[in-house]
Amino acid sequence: MRTKMNALGQGLIRCHDCGYLVKTEMKMSSCPRCDGHLHARNPHSLQRTTALLLSSFLLYIPANIFPIMMVNQFGAGEPHTIAGGIVDLIDSGMIPIAMLVLVASIIVPASKLIGISLLLLCAHFRWQVNARRWTTMYRLIAFVGRWSMLDIFMISILVDLVNFSGVQIIAGPAATAFAAVVILTMFAAEHFDPRLLWDNQQNSYE
Amino acid sequence: MNSSTAYHACPECDLLLKAALPDAGEKAHCPRCGLLLARPNKQSVERTFALSIAGIILFFPANLLPMLGITMMGNANTGTLFSGVLALFNEGMEAVAVVVFLASILFPLVHISLSLLISWHLYFNRFNRYLAHWMRWMHHLDEWVMLEVYMLSIIVACVKLMSIAQLKLGCGLYAFVALIIINTLLTSGLDEELFWQRIQQLRTRKNNAN
Repeated sequence: MRTKMNALGQGLIRCHDCGYLVKTEMKMSSCPRCDGHLHARNPHSLQRTTALLLSSFLLYIPANIFPIMMVNQFGAGEPHTIAGGIVDLIDSGMIPIAMLVLVASIIVPASKLIGISLLLLCAHFRWQVNARRWTTMYRLIAFVGRWSMLDIFMISILVDLVNFSGVQIIAGPAATAFAAVVILTMFAAEHFDPRLLWDNQQNSYE
Repeated sequence: MNSSTAYHACPECDLLLKAALPDAGEKAHCPRCGLLLARPNKQSVERTFALSIAGIILFFPANLLPMLGITMMGNANTGTLFSGVLALFNEGMEAVAVVVFLASILFPLVHISLSLLISWHLYFNRFNRYLAHWMRWMHHLDEWVMLEVYMLSIIVACVKLMSIAQLKLGCGLYAFVALIIINTLLTSGLDEELFWQRIQQLRTRKNNAN
């Protein structure tokens, strides 16, 4: 299964931290160049990714149904969910910004959850796929993840600035859940090893 | 050594490659999965050294000066990076406050400090046994430095507040924008493979001297 073109197939392990190649037969546990821990593939990649992914699936529910912030105006509180904030932006005519927030806080987290699930299934059931395309998908998921923090940072700015006796913005319980989803999916993407996709291909010579 | 640096492996598909280092300004992609493998810059060490100094200097005005001012119904308020963290903390959102603090203040500071330390040592050819540790920490921190994401959320927050309040951009914001530009140049210009090779050279020289 492991083709001759793979470094591992040639008896070489690539150090995860510095990229140095070490012969497997040396049986070293740390990299001679950077002292980092050596492993041919991310240890327990599929198990760890699955655990992180399941937790983020669960947290994704409270993140979307509970209010992410509340606007207290003269005693009367008005809760906003993530989707509600986007609707408000559209109502006030800020379509481009509304699209930006929609992409960063709804489309990206949702497609990350689905994407990582597909990657896990593909690696686990050894689907024969176009590995190059799937690796590109992985790369996209890993790149785009941090941008979902947009909503969290925005809440911290709004809570800080809008703090007057008449009007106040208060962070809601969904903020913690949402931040946890973003961080857990970032960790999940980091623990997933895209090389597993390539190891499973019968004919990865092309 | 145990293995030569004449070969590389692609980090994402494990393809074994002959290490053909591209010239400065050119790019090398993995032929099998298309990953950008290397994009060497001219004088990566010198450039990193200079940009880290600039980054450290800019870090202070970006964090200490007010970034945004708001006037609403006669009341005025200003905010900095840290006051946002404090506001969340005081509301009982400790976990979120810690995340914001790490991603927007502590990690950027540590990241720039590490790149300053490393490039200082490489520039002056000084060996330090912690060089490899610093390099590894910097490599792992990279993803968690979220300054540019913060910038985008400042823009969205401004748009949301524009209709209900008067906004004033503070000096801190200009320093922050400059810091983001410096930080982006820093991360994109840092040639990790070159840095590792230099660290290894310094180490062998140190060992031979003893």
